[in-house]
Amino acid sequence: MSTKKTTFLLLASVLFIAPALILVLQSLSKTWRFQAGEGFTFSLNSYQTLLSDPNLWTATFWSFTVGSGVLIVNLIIGILTGKALAILSFKGKSWVEVLLLTPILIPVLATAMGLHLFMIRAGLADTAAGVMLIHLVPTIPYSIKIFHNSYNQMGRLMLEQPAILGASPVRQLFTVELPLMKPAVRSVTFLTIVISLSQYAITAIIGGGRIITLPMVFYPFLDTANASIMAAFSVWFAALPLLMYVMVELLMRFLPYSQTLRRNRT
Amino acid sequence: MKSLKNRTSLLLLPSMLFLLLPLYGMVAAIHQSFSVNNQWTLQNYIQLLESERFVASTIFSLKTSLAATLISLVIGLLLTRYFYTFLERNTPRLMVWLPMLFPHFVWGYMVILVLSETGVVSQMLQAAGWISSSSEFPVWTRDSQGIGIIITYVWKEVPFVILMLLPVYSSIKSEYHDLVKTLGGNRWHRFKTVEWPHILPVFIETFLIVFSFTLAAYEVPALLGTTFPEMLSVLSYDWFYGSSWDDRPLAFAAMVLLSLGVILLTAAAYLFLNKKRWKAMRGRST
Repeated sequence: MSTKKTTFLLLASVLFIAPALILVLQSLSKTWRFQAGEGFTFSLNSYQTLLSDPNLWTATFWSFTVGSGVLIVNLIIGILTGKALAILSFKGKSWVEVLLLTPILIPVLATAMGLHLFMIRAGLADTAAGVMLIHLVPTIPYSIKIFHNSYNQMGRLMLEQPAILGASPVRQLFTVELPLMKPAVRSVTFLTIVISLSQYAITAIIGGGRIITLPMVFYPFLDTANASIMAAFSVWFAALPLLMYVMVELLMRFLPYSQTLRRNRT
Repeated sequence: MKSLKNRTSLLLLPSMLFLLLPLYGMVAAIHQSFSVNNQWTLQNYIQLLESERFVASTIFSLKTSLAATLISLVIGLLLTRYFYTFLERNTPRLMVWLPMLFPHFVWGYMVILVLSETGVVSQMLQAAGWISSSSEFPVWTRDSQGIGIIITYVWKEVPFVILMLLPVYSSIKSEYHDLVKTLGGNRWHRFKTVEWPHILPVFIETFLIVFSFTLAAYEVPALLGTTFPEMLSVLSYDWFYGSSWDDRPLAFAAMVLLSLGVILLTAAAYLFLNKKRWKAMRGRST
């Protein structure tokens, strides 16, 4: 093994693996007090306490619902816009690309505060639909970028071929584009869910304390729960993106050219 | 093919509809920042700029997020530069991206768990006898210097910087490096003449994304900051959601100023990049 590789593995382990590992280990142990000689003592109490909290389950339900909705809209807008940007060339296209990036540059807190009155008037405040809408703001730009890159890599010829053969746009999408864009779909799934799970302030503003998502429960927990329970809660946050990933992966099995479930029917 | 193109532009429609959302939000925020009791006024801005809390918070926010952004970019650039051949493989790449699986505030909690005065590192130092009590451990979380906020952001954004830079580094043809080597250039020349021009657009874009995010995000400072000085986001959220409704216009004014700053910075960056691109194209054609 070269020294470069060793250095890399060492750095990556300390910087990126160790923190996650510490969270997992602390969640599976009683709260550490190394200075008193109390090290790792295996215990599942933290998860028992955490999972017996009814608030956690409602919050998980809302986070999952909001996240799924946000993901579906992200996939639709991301794919349509990505395809358009990859095919079209027009004057000022680079400015349109900048424009599509601005929602993540402008403070999303400003957008949420500005939209608050509108949401109340439209009856969207305090509803899951309103929270989904506001979660679109920090996610859509990333999805567009990812699908734009993906379509660019596929190349114009690959996109023109099915069109020339007379396939409808939907059929083009499901038989040619989506099977080639599986990695992009995976990235979008991950990013969208994690970003949606990360929003406390804008969810509080638009959800008005009615739509309780996981972050809404996490902050108050900090004052009362011990390190072990907080670590378990932290691990719980990573479980949701993984669950969503597995679900998307299973759905993608239905696409043509996948190994199982569906043979290439014509 | 003409009709195909016309139909294709319809695909842009949903994203243009989506853009109405932040646009409306921005316009409404501007509108409310200029109004008191439905009357047009500059009063909110005057009150804001005279508020010591706001000025201190602005300086603190700029310092903290600039530090976090620059440190993340430098570390991310160095890691990508030295290890991009490994990072092209799956397992090393997933190792680096592991922190991206967690929300920012969860990572913030991890920093508290590990680096607070009673955290894992402090406990280990005590157990090893290097320090005798937790009060000897430096205050790195919930501190007035923003150290905890900076550590959390750097730790969380370095993987993002790598995510942005890696494709660019992978796409640099090795012939360019060979050329510089043949002409007697050293490592620094290679970076300056080959890598830097390649990565500059993405580097600037990454800077803008990370800087504007760390400048205005609420979650991490709410967890790891103190009450004074506080980040602009925390202050504005307080004004928006605080006990008194009178402060709400101040929240709007603060957010509008912040957005204006970010928009100006973005416009400047893209004008600079376009000018560069234009120069490069002209250089090639003559």
